[in-house]
Amino acid sequence: MSIDVRNITRTYGDFYALDDVSVALPTGQLTALLGPSGGGKSTLLRIIAGLDTADSGSVSIEGVDATKLPPQKRNVGFVFQHYAAFKHMSVAKNVAFGLEIRKRPKVEVKKRVGELLELVHLSPFADRMPSQLSGGQRQRMALARALAVEPTVLLLDEPFGALDAKVRKELREWLRRLHDEVHVTTVFVTHDQEEAMEVADEIVVINGGRIEQVGSPDELYDQPANDFVMGFLGEVTRLGHVQLRPHDIEVAVGPGRAGAHAGRVTRLQRVGFEVRLLVELESVEPGREVAPVSVSVTRSHAHALDLELGARVWLTPAVGATTVPAMVAV
Amino acid sequence: MTAAPALEAPTRPTPRRRARSGNTLTAGSALGLGVAVTWFSLLVLIPLTAIVITAGERGWAGYWDTITNPQTLAAVRLTVGQSLLVTAVNVVMGTLIAWVLVRDRFWGRSVLDVVIDIPFALPTIVAGLVLLGLYGPNSPIGVDWAYTERAVTLALAFVTLPFVVRAVQPVLGELEHDVEEAAASLGASRTTILRRIVLPALVPAIAAGAALSFARAISEYGSLVLLSGNRPFETEVVSVRVLSHIENGSTASAAAVASLMLVVALTVIVVLDVIQRRVSRHG
Repeated sequence: MSIDVRNITRTYGDFYALDDVSVALPTGQLTALLGPSGGGKSTLLRIIAGLDTADSGSVSIEGVDATKLPPQKRNVGFVFQHYAAFKHMSVAKNVAFGLEIRKRPKVEVKKRVGELLELVHLSPFADRMPSQLSGGQRQRMALARALAVEPTVLLLDEPFGALDAKVRKELREWLRRLHDEVHVTTVFVTHDQEEAMEVADEIVVINGGRIEQVGSPDELYDQPANDFVMGFLGEVTRLGHVQLRPHDIEVAVGPGRAGAHAGRVTRLQRVGFEVRLLVELESVEPGREVAPVSVSVTRSHAHALDLELGARVWLTPAVGATTVPAMVAV
Repeated sequence: MTAAPALEAPTRPTPRRRARSGNTLTAGSALGLGVAVTWFSLLVLIPLTAIVITAGERGWAGYWDTITNPQTLAAVRLTVGQSLLVTAVNVVMGTLIAWVLVRDRFWGRSVLDVVIDIPFALPTIVAGLVLLGLYGPNSPIGVDWAYTERAVTLALAFVTLPFVVRAVQPVLGELEHDVEEAAASLGASRTTILRRIVLPALVPAIAAGAALSFARAISEYGSLVLLSGNRPFETEVVSVRVLSHIENGSTASAAAVASLMLVVALTVIVVLDVIQRRVSRHG
């Protein structure tokens, strides 16, 4: 295991940012720390980097106990959300910084900086100042700077959080390809489940200072440990006594299946290739309010069933659907 | 050129500021510029020109005589020398004080933050009085520096204290903390971070504060009158020399000395500006 975090607790006054967190992150993989804002994921990353200290617990990196090591000695590359560019230095000087303070020979520094700028596609910008770069370019520069010192682990704190949607998408695909090339153990923090699912080999879901689940994107999506993970990784609706994803509900226009819930379509919305329905169930127990069920079907399927507003439908969970028991509302 | 340049390839590093392309003033900004230039001329340019003209009244020989007068030269040497010394002290102490005010949390910080401005806000004659009380003949701590060159240093240091502090403080406060964290995770020690990351970012502010501090020091009069005793060749500064010329009815001599100080002030401000540009470009 590349990074071994054991029983880390970090409090700010009465607030538990991390509450007895233990997790092991494997070597050479791209791991996402995923969770809502304020859930403790950034704190965990900063503790791994040595930029924050835990109240109790230990961190070891590549088998070396790093709990008491200052950030300088951890050999960790860190990329910040807001780039943290050295504004008074050119792009090349920024990237060279870590090597220069290690007193590497000039020729070697120059060569390595050249390679890294090539890697992050910034070679033509070597002599520019950071202020002359776009956000995406600045973040790539920050990445090259972190990689320059050949870190054991690369940590990225919401690396694409400050970028616009299109650049974000480009950069995360690029990060995935970069990781396949460089193979350095990488951990990145995100609150965007799509980003985590798309890029990471493994996802650690953190909420309220605790780890909810660790697993591959597929595992998390298909076998969520609890309704928080299920809800955080995708849309969820409730049908009868279970929670499930809207696209895991089968719609029929006639009764017949056992356990089908009858209802009426109260809203029909077309979004691209999918059709989203809101179905108000005919309550089995009179007098008890049940929230309408959201269902998503493909457009062609909706056509085939001839669905329209006010139509009567019968809903059943699809075979093999991911479900978790619904909390009983009182 | 044979190959088309790649999409991202820049033709050359784009200059920060574009070359001026003719007159782009709108009516509003033309009015603004007009008012600004008129105001500046009335207050600064025309009086300065008048000084230079007055200085030339007695011809080149008279001018040269005045400014090469040994007593005048001694006053100039004292003023410029002490001002440079005090500015150098301010660069170090002012940056240090600004650092403490911004980065450290201690009891009484907000009080200190307000008190820093007192030397600036006090009428300078009061400043002289205050210093005379502590470092004068009746000093409670037994340090009698009155009427010596040290009194000049002390008075100048007192009145110019806030300039570097106030220039550096906001810039230091705006400095992003993650930049220093980034340097630390790249292996930079605290001193390296200070030397290569923090100080270069502060240099423009320090230079601006130093320029103000120097300008204030060479023009100081009030606090010195009491403290230095205005002894010719020893503690007489230029502003006192100018006044004594005027009191002797020689406006032209006074103007000649004044014009010399104008040149000194301009030189120092330009030099500081050049240093600041150099450093902020190269890091």
